[in-house]
Amino acid sequence: MTPRCPSDLALEAFLLQPERSPEAAHVASCASCTTRLARMREEGEEFRREVFPRTVEAVEDAMVKRRLRWPLVLAPAGALAAAAVAVLLLVRTGPPADYEYGVKGSGMALAVFVNGGEGVRALPDGAAVPAAAALRFKVQPADSCWLWIMSVDARGEISRLYPPKGIPPDRRPAGPVPGGAVLDGQPGPERIYAVCAPSQEMAWAEVKASAAAVATGGPERVRAARGLGGSLSGAYQASLLLEKRP
Amino acid sequence: MAEGGVPGRERAAELYRTYGPAVYRRCLKLLRDREAARDATQEVFVKLVRDIAKLDDPAIVLPWIYRVATNHCLNVQRDRRRRGEAPLELEVADAGTSAPFPDRHLAGAILSRFDEGTRAVAVGVLVDGMGHEELAGALGISRKTVERRLARFLERARQLVSGDES
Repeated sequence: MTPRCPSDLALEAFLLQPERSPEAAHVASCASCTTRLARMREEGEEFRREVFPRTVEAVEDAMVKRRLRWPLVLAPAGALAAAAVAVLLLVRTGPPADYEYGVKGSGMALAVFVNGGEGVRALPDGAAVPAAAALRFKVQPADSCWLWIMSVDARGEISRLYPPKGIPPDRRPAGPVPGGAVLDGQPGPERIYAVCAPSQEMAWAEVKASAAAVATGGPERVRAARGLGGSLSGAYQASLLLEKRP
Repeated sequence: MAEGGVPGRERAAELYRTYGPAVYRRCLKLLRDREAARDATQEVFVKLVRDIAKLDDPAIVLPWIYRVATNHCLNVQRDRRRRGEAPLELEVADAGTSAPFPDRHLAGAILSRFDEGTRAVAVGVLVDGMGHEELAGALGISRKTVERRLARFLERARQLVSGDES
């Protein structure tokens, strides 16, 4: 590199649009820059080969979270206050006896919130929601535990909702769960499960496998399966059914 | 459940495919560790997609990526150092930059003690070998600010090295 050689930033611009780069003439006649560019291209290939496939889903998930923040930010203050009251009731008193928050007696309560035309509201079990609704979650485990939230729909798709891919489960106390999810726009039943894994070491593949029987059972199985078996038998868990409408 | 909907996910993937290599190269240069660079690349891009309008603006996208990635990776280095995991090692710019080598070497040793803005200037000039004008454009600050921060950094750095820390 000589004093005249472009910076790394200038070479990045050259790599993106060589025909527009003011450095093109210099680069064409500079052995040092040719070597630097060759190395940069190698590292770019390394990114495409090694990094992109392993990390793209987390980036996509981040985009989803970015889109989810707005509905709650834009919600009327009154609606937010109402949601806060619902949340406090859930934390302090647990689910009321006449209101289905999920599987009772298994050490977990789950509340699902949607931001609709009438503001933010907690959904009862079996609630009809717009097929592309944005959701937020709140959990109340009997004890702080390794939380997973996932959903199973009538097409057999199992979706990981929390924690995002690439991030291990954390020990969550009762309260709101960071992030959220947006429904896929496909009508039909979808069940949200909140489960406490027995240890942090339990991998997503194992958690997902516990929902396989529900996923392969069609819409009626999704509607009926309040709890998950397999490795999660005996774990704290709760579920809530949603009926997605067009 | 298709979180976020397909178009948003596809757009994020497309931008990542386009600009991810620049982030990865920046992180490799500053962290000098492939695994750490891979993690940092993902973390940086997660920050970038939160402000997607900037990623869609070709006039500002590269300087912005440079700035965010630099700050993130320097923070990773600083945190590692605090945990005693690895010393801060930066590959200083080759000969031919305006700064003499002792100044650049000094930068690599004590950079982590400074605030984000000062570190960005010190790294730009002393590690990347950028000119003051170009760095000012990349960081969105004036050339005078670059010069002022650099002078303050070098003065304070010399005090730290000589033990004349007030």
